[in-house]
Amino acid sequence: MKAFSLSLKGLRRDLRAADVRALFVALMLAVAASTMIGFFLDRLDRGLTRQAGQLMGGDLVLEQSDPFTKELRQTLRDAGLTLSQQVDLVSMASRDNAFQPVSLKVVDPAYPLYGQVRVERGDGTETLAHGPDPGSVWVAPRLARLMGFEIGDTLRIGESTFTVSGLVEREPDQSAGFSAFNPRVMMHRDDLPATGLVQPGSRLEYELLAKGPPDAVARVQSRLDRLRDNGVEVRDVREDRPRLGGALDRAQRYLSLSGLAAVLLAGVAVAMATRRYVDRHLDTAALLRCFGASQRQLSTLFSLQLMWLAVAASVAGALLGLAGQAGLLAILTRFLPLELPPPGPLPLLMGVFTALAILVGFAGPMLLRLKCVSALKVLRRELDPMPVSGWVVIGVASLVFGALLWLYSGDFMLSLGLLVGGELALALLWALGHVLLTALLWLVRGAAGDDRHGARHAWRLGARQLARRRQASLGQLLAFSVTFAAMAIIALVRGDLVSAWEAQLPENTPNYFAINIQPDERDGFREIVENASDTRSDLYPIVRGRLVTINDQPAEATVSADQEAPDELRRALNLTWRATLPAGNRIVAGEWFDADAPAGDDRPVPISMEQGLAERLDVSLGDVLGFDIGSEHVSGRVTSLRSLDWESFRPNFFVIFPPGALERFSHSYITSFHLENDRQATIGKLVSRYPSVSLLNVDAILEQVRELLAQVTRAIELVLVFVLLAGVSVLYAALTASRPMRAHEGALLRVFGAGDRMIARIQGAEFALLGIASGLLGALLAEAAALGVYLVWFDLPPRLHWPLWIVLPVGGALLIGGIGHLLTRSVRRQAPMESLRLLGET
Amino acid sequence: MVDDSLNDSKVSILHAAQVSQRVRSGERVLTILDDLALEVHTGESVAILGSSGSGKSTLLGLLAGLDTPSEGEIQLFGESLTALGEDGRARLRAGQVGFVFQNFQLLPTLTALENVLLPQELAPSSDDEQRARTWLSRVGLGERLDHLPKQLSGGEQQRVAVARAFVSHPRLVFADEPTGNLDRATGAHIIDLLFELNREMGTTLVLVTHDHALASRCERCLRLEEGRLQLMDHAEVAS
Ligand SMILES: Nc1ncnc2c1ncn2[C@@H]1O[C@H](COP(=O)(O)OP(=O)(O)O)[C@@H](O)[C@H]1O
Ligand SMILES: [Mg+2]
Repeated sequence: MKAFSLSLKGLRRDLRAADVRALFVALMLAVAASTMIGFFLDRLDRGLTRQAGQLMGGDLVLEQSDPFTKELRQTLRDAGLTLSQQVDLVSMASRDNAFQPVSLKVVDPAYPLYGQVRVERGDGTETLAHGPDPGSVWVAPRLARLMGFEIGDTLRIGESTFTVSGLVEREPDQSAGFSAFNPRVMMHRDDLPATGLVQPGSRLEYELLAKGPPDAVARVQSRLDRLRDNGVEVRDVREDRPRLGGALDRAQRYLSLSGLAAVLLAGVAVAMATRRYVDRHLDTAALLRCFGASQRQLSTLFSLQLMWLAVAASVAGALLGLAGQAGLLAILTRFLPLELPPPGPLPLLMGVFTALAILVGFAGPMLLRLKCVSALKVLRRELDPMPVSGWVVIGVASLVFGALLWLYSGDFMLSLGLLVGGELALALLWALGHVLLTALLWLVRGAAGDDRHGARHAWRLGARQLARRRQASLGQLLAFSVTFAAMAIIALVRGDLVSAWEAQLPENTPNYFAINIQPDERDGFREIVENASDTRSDLYPIVRGRLVTINDQPAEATVSADQEAPDELRRALNLTWRATLPAGNRIVAGEWFDADAPAGDDRPVPISMEQGLAERLDVSLGDVLGFDIGSEHVSGRVTSLRSLDWESFRPNFFVIFPPGALERFSHSYITSFHLENDRQATIGKLVSRYPSVSLLNVDAILEQVRELLAQVTRAIELVLVFVLLAGVSVLYAALTASRPMRAHEGALLRVFGAGDRMIARIQGAEFALLGIASGLLGALLAEAAALGVYLVWFDLPPRLHWPLWIVLPVGGALLIGGIGHLLTRSVRRQAPMESLRLLGET
Repeated sequence: MVDDSLNDSKVSILHAAQVSQRVRSGERVLTILDDLALEVHTGESVAILGSSGSGKSTLLGLLAGLDTPSEGEIQLFGESLTALGEDGRARLRAGQVGFVFQNFQLLPTLTALENVLLPQELAPSSDDEQRARTWLSRVGLGERLDHLPKQLSGGEQQRVAVARAFVSHPRLVFADEPTGNLDRATGAHIIDLLFELNREMGTTLVLVTHDHALASRCERCLRLEEGRLQLMDHAEVAS
């Protein structure tokens, strides 16, 4: 109790000191950044799961060829799930003598579980949370164009006749694929029996969609497993969440990286402030020793004091973080479903834990000095306990930071790699800093002139002070260059991410996909598109085939037993053939096949595989894959692995064969192209001339992705501001720490006759030089780190950022000069007597 | 040599015998104290005189248990300091030993009142603050309680230090050149204060100085020379 109140009292008094304030601000920012990002990612993740549920049509989707039993439905309902049933089948729609295959979707009154249907019912587009009424159908606009009817006309499906009461512009559960080859017709479930389409042998897919919280789904897990074993297709949003795009993945990584950068910066600030804190408290400790305090009492006192500080900073930081994540979410709300789960407690705990870890890691070794102080110091001032070696401080701090890295990223090897890389970089920086300071000293010695009052003289004196205080200057140089590098990386990655996103979806990104183009239609189709479109992809032949063997073993057997076989083994893949590497693809291993090599008859042909699928199937270069195509078996040897951009809105292929291997199988062509809004007439022309070709407009998806990117961009800008603030707090803490020393030097200069202006100039020169040097080293570090981060984490092409080499030194000089000027202004105003005394006391 | 046969009846509070202190300075070993002996009795005031660098502060540090001698035995309040560890010696001092230093040793971020309260905080009681206020009034700083050290003159700062030394009613007060940083008049004022309190409270006072005027006010004066103590008579002190 005694120690408690004593430490609180001490802390309250200490709040007058700049270093304690700097400690507080640094810890608060670290907690704010980590909780903000933690809260945000946590909620975003859960929100995205919900969004994915919408795209799937439910959080849980069961699919089989028979109706689902009442018993199963009751079980799911009992678990707390809301249900909707749906039947999908391909049928024929007819009108007069025209026939058209359609993809029929039969919905119940509960449809849709998520989102709304956008439908045109004669007087403008409406968004409705239900399907068509009995007796009527809603159809895709494409079908109306194809068959030439309008809203209000009738359409015959099976043995029933329906009124067309709406044109479906967007279904909430339509995912980004193009599974719907045939135009959509949506019908009420009460009408299905009368159509006579449900007969033994007809190909129907019954879907049971369920909506509910993850724990409700978890409650029926064992039942789901049994259903899977019985051949029911089970899609669970928790596992089968569709990729919402690499863009969001990268944004999440960016946020994590920013959080870590903020934590690192705060750690450096804590270390700098702690040095001053300890120096200042050595006298307190010695006096208390003298008055009879034991070592234990001292360590309890100071640890408690700092713990209070950390707790207070955590609370303030957590509140700030909560506000920050609300801000981030507000920015992203238009994209995310409005109803987000509330923030969980985990990020808060992580925040407090982070603050304590930073304190222990970045301040701990230095704090131990306080305990070791000798009471004799009150009599012999110079008797300071051995200063802790900088390498010990850096070593312990790195270990703790590495552990935090591991905790946050969950990737041990990555953390270890970053840690080792970071240590090497620090050692290199230290050596370079040495060289820089020596060079500086040498430079000013050479530049001795005889103007004793001009600016050059001030520069010379400033440089000399900086270079002579070698240890202190090196410490600041390291701290500042790490700071600048961290700030720069976060800014750089932001810039490159945003421009990569912008480059990814330029104005002329293909907004139409055309599939099912028959070989004899190919040239005609291409000609029309070529004349109307500014960008288009090649026409790729598609052959459907199943991957059945890997190195003569059944493909399923290569996947370990406890894992489910990847989707790609369960369905047919789109295969193509091609002589050249498709645009936007990159070879990551092996070589693209030599177009001139004669295709042998009996040996497997060379094939190229997408690297992600190869990883999932554990396939490497040289493996032989066997495909069932039609009734034949074709095998190919993997001679290259490709990376490709799934969000390019171009046709992409898992497996590409060389020309000559697949031509004999039946195939159609696929392409994508961009059409301006005013060129829609072309669509009419294509539709009427090539009625069997399916045209898919992806403008809506494109718009959604663009919107998402714009909002994510704004969100990461907010985070960038946070990181920059953390950086400034480092500068503030470090310069605060060096204030008494500078005050002393200033006072001495004044005693020797230097005027106010001269002292300001000398100190200004010193700060500026420090800023320039740190900026240069920071730029070097940032380039090196960016290289690593880009390659490992963001999959962006590395490049040199030359503006960095100008912005960082200049900005560093201005920033350090500015803060330094502010902090030393009051010191300059003091009479020299006072400054000298001030030093004696500290 | 100290002749303590005259004081047999009195209680010994501080006892040092065959104390040597040697420190390594570069390659050679420097002997600061050499086979030194000292006996201090309760309530006594003792001055240790010596020129600058003669080892006065070193001796004071040893006597107060802030450091341990290379050789010899020191007893404080009847307990052997040499047998105790660093923490044990600290505990022995707690609440029983007061200090006044040449450079005041006030903490710059604490007010006058907080500085006086500092030693008490190790063993707080409810009337600490009241006592500290009383003591500050006693040394003439009743109006300056909330001032920081830098707002006080040197003499005023030393008065705060004196209040801090006496506030816990210590049995023994060590003073290391308490007037060393003060002008003569201010120094005289501090000395008056010290002896007044010494008499009034019955506190034993061990005072280290190179100032003969200050030393002459003590009951007993010893000269520290070549690492040993010698009793001085009053004529010698006055000269
Ligand atoms: N730990 C030590 N290492 C080196 N020299 C020391 C040490 N302690 C004391 N000295 C030296 O011993 C001499 C006596 O010091 P001190 O006791 O401070 O003298 P005084 O207080 O009488 O002026 C001085 O020359 C001082 O430099
Ligand atoms: Mg001395």
